[in-house]
Amino acid sequence: MKRLRIVLGLQLLFFAGWAGYLMVSRSASTPEFYLETTPVDPRDLISGTYVALNYEISDPRAGSCAELSRSELAFYVKLDDRGKTAVTAQGQVPVYQVTDCSREASYAPGWARADVEIGRGVKYGIERFYLNEGDPRKDARSGSVLAKVKIGSDRKLFLLDLVKKI
Amino acid sequence: MASYFKRLKKDLDASSAAGIITQEQAQKVFEQAKAASLLGGMKAAHWIAGAAGIFIALGVILVVASNWDKLGANLKIGAYLLLFGAAAEGSLAAEDKPSVSIPLELLWFFMPVIGIGLYAQIFQLSGDPVKPYLAWAVLSSPLAFLSKRNFTAFLTTLLLFAVLFMGTLGRVNMLSLTSGYEQAAQPVAHWILALAVLAGAVFTHLIKNPERGYGLPLGAGLAWLLSMMLADTALKLHSPATLLLAGMSASVIWLACGSEGAEIESKLPLTVWTAAVYAMTFFWHYKPDLENMRDADSAPGAVLTWALLAAALAALTLKKQRVFPNELGEAALGKSLLAASILCAFLLFGGGQETAKFLAVIANFILAALGLGLIMGGAKASSEKNINRGVAVLTITAVTRFIDIFGSMLTSGFAFIGTGLGFAGLAYLVNKGRKALIEQVKK
Repeated sequence: MKRLRIVLGLQLLFFAGWAGYLMVSRSASTPEFYLETTPVDPRDLISGTYVALNYEISDPRAGSCAELSRSELAFYVKLDDRGKTAVTAQGQVPVYQVTDCSREASYAPGWARADVEIGRGVKYGIERFYLNEGDPRKDARSGSVLAKVKIGSDRKLFLLDLVKKI
Repeated sequence: MASYFKRLKKDLDASSAAGIITQEQAQKVFEQAKAASLLGGMKAAHWIAGAAGIFIALGVILVVASNWDKLGANLKIGAYLLLFGAAAEGSLAAEDKPSVSIPLELLWFFMPVIGIGLYAQIFQLSGDPVKPYLAWAVLSSPLAFLSKRNFTAFLTTLLLFAVLFMGTLGRVNMLSLTSGYEQAAQPVAHWILALAVLAGAVFTHLIKNPERGYGLPLGAGLAWLLSMMLADTALKLHSPATLLLAGMSASVIWLACGSEGAEIESKLPLTVWTAAVYAMTFFWHYKPDLENMRDADSAPGAVLTWALLAAALAALTLKKQRVFPNELGEAALGKSLLAASILCAFLLFGGGQETAKFLAVIANFILAALGLGLIMGGAKASSEKNINRGVAVLTITAVTRFIDIFGSMLTSGFAFIGTGLGFAGLAYLVNKGRKALIEQVKK
């Protein structure tokens, strides 16, 4: 009984700690920006309805990106404003693009971690946006929405919102 | 279950009326039997209270669901942690009340995966599809090992096997073993992790559920190995002959080593072996796929096939045969049938249609011998059950061959009528023979 209570304590500690880590990492003082995305809408067994998102940055070509996509299992991409914009309800917003890639971790602003999935491009951990069944964004067409993201304290991208283009 | 209790009550009343037991004893036996059943102790008040609880819970779920978007992340996480703690603590506190403790322990087991799903939803997390399930198994395994009950361990074993199959046969995840998108086989790390998951499943089962024997992990492990040989992995077998040899060897190993216990005839390994032999009868229609057979079997897959064959032959020699129940005394016939079912796979190594037909004929003979052995052994040992099983094997084989041989001729209405009459006649004769045998046994 005592050992099971210790197990329970450790399980609760794990979930409380994980929640704390995710909250702290997501609230890092880094800028929020937008990414071009192509959604489809499958469903997840344990988390419910979501929109599956593919990004332009999932197939990075700038600098050494193409080579690193083939040779590495993970690397870092530099996301930057190169003048591309889109119009949303909040007005005109910049749409970030990949400008460079590096094998080494960089803690300079704009660098995010990318994981390579063999034959399927790179993934950033922002490929799903969970929403309600009745949310109109569930049926968003390709090119009609932007992903609002920010880079967490551990260089991972966090998906904050899915914003409709006007 | 209700009909069982009705019959029991009737039998007990009859025994009481006949003076075998007193009315009081009959009543006590009936109450004891009902209390021991899963829901037997439930009285009308319990059912009403249960229904009330379900309605209230559904109401709470609906209210929460309709306001889900308005609830903040902190509230959701807080409520989740409270529910987690309450379920687990409730299960521990009510340990001596199984009707409360078991459902709560079950909820405790599922709480980690609920949490993972909830966090993914709140923080928009995505990634490897296998990772959440693997994390769930890791987080729940201490409960499985430390709980006094065995069902969470059993669920953990099932979960690990499910993760193993789902992950290794998937194309893009941390356990993927199939090659995908023109890439070579997956990294060695995936194999190491897959074997660790397999070992975890087997270990959990053997430590926490030894009384169940090792039939489940052995069968699931062999099925996984065969799926790796079938799929596009480093163990891929291209030749149908090698695949058949591996499959039949695996089914014989499972039957010989994984079906220990008194009621062996009711267990899955024997059914699987019989089904495998039955499937072999369809090699009558075999046409070699020469295009696919140009690719050679992978070296590790071929080595494993020969290892399976050696293990199957060793099991045949060293273990008791499990085809016929001991009471039938058909040990030699049982071992011969098992050996034949493996060795006839060699007929396919030539790759020709003629040898495949010969293989199908042998498979039919094995089934016929199995059916006759069960009937004869059943008649000798006065076992109706085995006679019925033998008749079932013979009937299914005969009906299949009938359709096989005359199937293409069934084009006109008269042919259908003739076939129907044929089946009716067959059913009559089989049933008559079966009854005569059973009557003979009863005398």
